[in-house]
Amino acid sequence: MNFLGYLITGQFVAFFILALIVIASAILMLNFNKVMYMALAIGGVFVGVAGIFFLLNAEFIGIAQVLIYAGAITILMLFAIMLTHEKDGESNSKGWIHETASFVFVAILLAGLMYGIRTSTINWSPASDEPSAWPVGQNVEAVAASLFQTYTIPFEVVSVLLIVALVGAVVLARKEE
Amino acid sequence: MVPYLNGYLYVVLFLLLGIALPVGALYLLGPLLRPNKPSAAKLSTYESGIEPVGEAQTRYNVRYYLFALLFVVFDVETLFLVPWAVSFKALGGFGLIEVFIFIFFLFIGLIYAWNKKVLEWK
Repeated sequence: MNFLGYLITGQFVAFFILALIVIASAILMLNFNKVMYMALAIGGVFVGVAGIFFLLNAEFIGIAQVLIYAGAITILMLFAIMLTHEKDGESNSKGWIHETASFVFVAILLAGLMYGIRTSTINWSPASDEPSAWPVGQNVEAVAASLFQTYTIPFEVVSVLLIVALVGAVVLARKEE
Repeated sequence: MVPYLNGYLYVVLFLLLGIALPVGALYLLGPLLRPNKPSAAKLSTYESGIEPVGEAQTRYNVRYYLFALLFVVFDVETLFLVPWAVSFKALGGFGLIEVFIFIFFLFIGLIYAWNKKVLEWK
C-alpha cells in the first residue's frame, strides 16, 4: 500500500505509533505540574523507546530498557520524589510572551535543522543487503559474544562502576539519617 | 524480517486485551450490572477497613531509597548475566571465570552494605 510515495508497512505504522507515544509522554512530562506525574510520564517515554528497540530487532536492548529504565529507574525516581518532596510545584505557566518567544525559537531551530538535513552533502553509506553474522532473533548471543570476548575489560570495569554507585548511595543515605 | 516481526502481533493483541479488559469491566459493563447507591463512606480512602489517618503523600524513610538502589544495582548485574547464561556453552571456561570475577566484585559491594547495616531494619 502506498501513501504519498511512502510504502505503508506494519513496521511503518508501528514506528509512528511508538514515536507518538514517546513524544506525547515527553511533552506531558514537561507540562505536568506534579512531580509524581512527571516521573510516571517519563516511564511512558522509556516504554516507547523500548518498543522502538523491538522494532529494530534489538530484543535484548529492548528488554534491558524495560527492566532497567521503565522498571528500576522510574521506581528509583518515584522513591527519590517521595523522599524529598514537600509540596507540589506551582504552575509553571510563564505567560504568552514567554510561550510565543519559545515557539518562534523552536520554529527557527526546526527550519534550520530541516535546511541542514535537506542540503547536507554527507555520503551516508547505504544499508547493506548482506546478512549479518548473527541472524535475526539471535542478538542475545551477539551481545554475549561482544561483551565476553571482545570487550572483556570494560565488562569487568562495569562491576567496579556498580560498586561505586552502591557505596556512594550508602554513604549519602547514611549522612542524611 | 517481516514474518519475524509479525510474531509481535500477538504481543500487541495481548496489550490491547489488557487495556480493554479493565476499561470494559469498569466503564462499559460495570455500570449496567452494578446497583448505583453512592454514599460518603464509599468515597473515602480504603485503609484495610480502618478509618483513614493522615495524608497519602508523606515523607518516606530514607531506608526505602537504599533498598531501591540496591535493587537497581543487582538488577543491572542480572541483566549482564543473561547473555552469559544464554551462550554459556559457546563462551566456555573463560566466560565462567569472567563472570565469577564480575560477581565477586559485586559480592564485595553486598558485604559492604551488610557491614554498614543497610540490610537491617531497626
